Amino acid sequence: MLNMDFFELTNDPIDITSVARRTVPQECGATVTLDGYVRRFTNGRESRYLVYEAYEPMALKEMGKLTEQARRKFEIAAVGIVHRLGRLEIGETSVVISIAAPHRKAAFAACEWMIRELKQKVPIWKKEVFEDGEVWIEGSE
Amino acid sequence: MNVKVLFFGATAALIGSRRLEFPIDGENSAASVFERVIAKYPELRRHKLLFSINQEYADLETIVREGDELAIFTAVSGG
Repeated sequence: MLNMDFFELTNDPIDITSVARRTVPQECGATVTLDGYVRRFTNGRESRYLVYEAYEPMALKEMGKLTEQARRKFEIAAVGIVHRLGRLEIGETSVVISIAAPHRKAAFAACEWMIRELKQKVPIWKKEVFEDGEVWIEGSE
Repeated sequence: MNVKVLFFGATAALIGSRRLEFPIDGENSAASVFERVIAKYPELRRHKLLFSINQEYADLETIVREGDELAIFTAVSGG
């Protein structure tokens, strides 16, 4: 079977539909796509914008490793992950994960698993910029 | 011999640099190199740190070699 997986980091706005439609193998019947975007309020504090930074080669490798693990855990056929870097405004998409499967249940489960793992393993960091300062967010896991 | 140590996000801001070269001689474990970096920048101790060698999460017992790429960063926060 042709491997359709793709992993990308970009400074440009992400076209969610094109990520989703690149993840449609013919043997599948469902693609679940997560559109993660910038929230205005975190713990009651208002962000002006966010800045994302990655250890780019390692981030891409980790996305590939997570995809190998996901394939062993779930009945899925293809994974596409695109993460935005640089300055993002409120409401802009920071990450898109599309996972295709023969049947939707596995795709939903794998997509939830993938975002949870990405937030713990893939070396990307966000800085929240407020009216009166800024802080690099450190993951809790 | 030198190894390079990369910093990102919070660790880069704290150190004021994204990349340092550290001299090594003889057999140095990754742990010993990371300990030297932290000794030089003790503020790093206030963070939960992750370590990588050649773009993989590190086994700290690994013996580092000339040209290896090490990195120190805080717990990740992408997504």
